[in-house]
Amino acid sequence: MTPRDDRRASDPLDLEGLPGQPRRFHDDEDDAEAAPSVPAHAGRGRDESEKLDQYLLRRYHLHGDRKAREQLITMYLPLVRSLARRYASRGEHFDDLVQVGAIGLIKAIDRFDLSRGVELTTYATPNIVGEIKRYFRDKGWSVRVPRGLQELNIRLNKVIDELVPKLQRSPTINELAEAASATPEEVLEALETSQAYNSISLQASPNSEGGDEDAGLIDYLGGPEAAYETMEDRTTLAPGFAKLDARERYILHLRFFEGLTQSQIAERVGISQMHVSRLIRRSLEKLREEIGDLDHPGVSSVSGEQ
Amino acid sequence: MRESIRLEVPAAVTALPTLRMVLGGLAVHLDFSLEELEDLSLAATELLRAALDSEGLESWSVEMAVVDEALHVVLGPYRSPELRGRLQTAPGGPLCLDLCRLIGSTVDSFAVEDDGDGFMVRLVKGRRQA
Repeated sequence: MTPRDDRRASDPLDLEGLPGQPRRFHDDEDDAEAAPSVPAHAGRGRDESEKLDQYLLRRYHLHGDRKAREQLITMYLPLVRSLARRYASRGEHFDDLVQVGAIGLIKAIDRFDLSRGVELTTYATPNIVGEIKRYFRDKGWSVRVPRGLQELNIRLNKVIDELVPKLQRSPTINELAEAASATPEEVLEALETSQAYNSISLQASPNSEGGDEDAGLIDYLGGPEAAYETMEDRTTLAPGFAKLDARERYILHLRFFEGLTQSQIAERVGISQMHVSRLIRRSLEKLREEIGDLDHPGVSSVSGEQ
Repeated sequence: MRESIRLEVPAAVTALPTLRMVLGGLAVHLDFSLEELEDLSLAATELLRAALDSEGLESWSVEMAVVDEALHVVLGPYRSPELRGRLQTAPGGPLCLDLCRLIGSTVDSFAVEDDGDGFMVRLVKGRRQA
């Protein structure tokens, strides 16, 4: 066994058999570096954390180690959440902001320059915040909606998130009106106007500057859910459904084939009912754009069965 | 007491918000949950879009009525055999998302009712008891 083989044998991040091409920004001179033994930031001192960051960044940038990249993303998600929380009062769903912030984090990890000697936190923070701000800039009302209704919509999102767990069911319009200090008519109007709200597609490529153009934002977020994978096993990616990501297909499956309510889906997937509602609407819209209508032969199957 | 509203609006997606608002108004009377209202709106919207595709309509005719604690939405008349087929045919497969399945999984019941030369489609949604 060569010294290099020996190092690999003791390396907790096995390089062998990983997909993707290594991105080599520098020579392989740091290859002999030993791996820090603790795999996460929790409970570590600043120096140790920085050491671990540097180690993982080298693994990724010098060896193309995707697992190191994933570990960095996981380690820094709390930072993304903390930054996203600052913007959560602006009416956007917190989960959406975390997802957008995660794109900023991934860009920061991918673009990090080892030779500049800065900490990843220092580099990642403006990237994450920038991505969230860009999201707000790009996201706007597609039709002119009075400010009062926009504000009520923001309030309603909050109220719905509070009421669903409290009531253990979807709130009625009257309950929403009472909780949001509005009339039922105003609630209906605000809910209707929310459909005029633009949102960036999580299918959009996060990196138009040479990254993986085929990958959607959703592909960069979080680890694979076992349930999604089970669904994938049964799914033939017919043209219409191929446009949906795994989570969207899973949610459509739960709603229209398993008969779960939006609240039940929200609980199972770990997102809010409003988020489920938006995802269902968006998925159906995507299908419609792709296949014209839902009965186009051969394209509306979420399984191999036609 | 039967409370009903009949609307005739241009057959265009821009008219859908108006229909949904009226539907919402009646749903408030029945104290529907947000989810129940969204389900019914989704079913009605998908059906109207399908009718627009297969019928070449100039206007949509929709009657909404509160009957025995349930909201009935009656759409039509339609004449397209294709649309009738899509509504009456059992879902294309156990895992095929078609119009029939989509409507069937969002309302309590729906029916295709003969009406002269054409047919009406009735969607029924009641409030789930807590």
